[in-house]
Amino acid sequence: MTDNTAVQRMSLDAALDVLARRREQQVVVGTMTANGAWRQKSPHDLNLACIGFMGGASTLGLGVALSQPDRDVWVIDGDGSLMMQLGSLGTIAGAAPTNFLHIVIHNGVYETSGSQPLPSQQQVDFARMAEGAGYAQTVSFGDAEEFDSAIDELLAADGPTLVQLYTRPEDRFYSARPTPPGSTPALARIWPPVAEALK
Amino acid sequence: MTAQSIPADQLLAAIRGAGVQDVVLVPDTHQRTVLDLLMDDEEIRTIHCSTEDEAVAVSAGLIIGGRRPMMQIQHAGLYASVNNLRGVALDGHFPIVLLIGLLGRDPELEPEQDGSSMVRLCRPLLETLDIPSHLLDGPDDLHHVAKAFDEAAERNGPVALLVGTTTS
Repeated sequence: MTDNTAVQRMSLDAALDVLARRREQQVVVGTMTANGAWRQKSPHDLNLACIGFMGGASTLGLGVALSQPDRDVWVIDGDGSLMMQLGSLGTIAGAAPTNFLHIVIHNGVYETSGSQPLPSQQQVDFARMAEGAGYAQTVSFGDAEEFDSAIDELLAADGPTLVQLYTRPEDRFYSARPTPPGSTPALARIWPPVAEALK
Repeated sequence: MTAQSIPADQLLAAIRGAGVQDVVLVPDTHQRTVLDLLMDDEEIRTIHCSTEDEAVAVSAGLIIGGRRPMMQIQHAGLYASVNNLRGVALDGHFPIVLLIGLLGRDPELEPEQDGSSMVRLCRPLLETLDIPSHLLDGPDDLHHVAKAFDEAAERNGPVALLVGTTTS
């Protein structure tokens, strides 16, 4: 059994920097706290976001990956988010998109609601779950330099690939603002330009 | 009027006629004969999901990438997928067509009169979510399939087709 209390953990910023340095024309689906940080680090017309349907990032990305087999799709998922749709590991492994990179930010807490612990926080291991589901590659990193050294080889190989990144909780409490009546939801604004860019 | 069973080949022809490229599904006992044909179909791709919530998000992703998907689920899956129907299909303005089997429906009754809550509450739930629905109570209703895609595109949102009795 994995002992998450003993693992090394990197900062979220350092983890995302490794990915941002490799950003080219991949479609990237972000979610939860990592999404805001990612959009700042890598603003791009191919950024999608899972906002308002926690847990759906990986399967939204799967749909894009299956529709665009010649383009790489990255999903930057959260551990709490993936917990909500764990069956998606089986769905993704079954569909077997070779162009699919599934990053799981493992900080062990629900950061946006005040860093309450994840169920099975001390031992849950998404890389082992993905391996059991049938992903082509699964690996974990707690050190940003090790991740940086290994990522190019992982990206060059066929997916689906799951990379579990152990990060430190940073207590980025999220306070939702009221949505003005009649306003267009975020997802409805975000995806049409991406679809246009993919034509 | 008694609901009539729709032959699987006719329903598949209607799906094909609507230009569907991908069927995103969680298996529905009610539409078993259609599933059998889909599994062997060389033109329409089937994508198997663990949950109906996932099927909504996969369908949305396919639409972003330029494909024309259709969801195929059972009424129980409609209830299971409400959060993504709201957060993805409705809030995201995705024109997703759902083919939903009313497993166990008494073909002599309107769905709202059925003894099973899964059948009885289906259309009221869709109405609550502001998702239009059309009942497929026999081969004569298959014209609704292609129209559902036009309707979904016009309203930028989901449309449901309810398969009234077990396909043959």
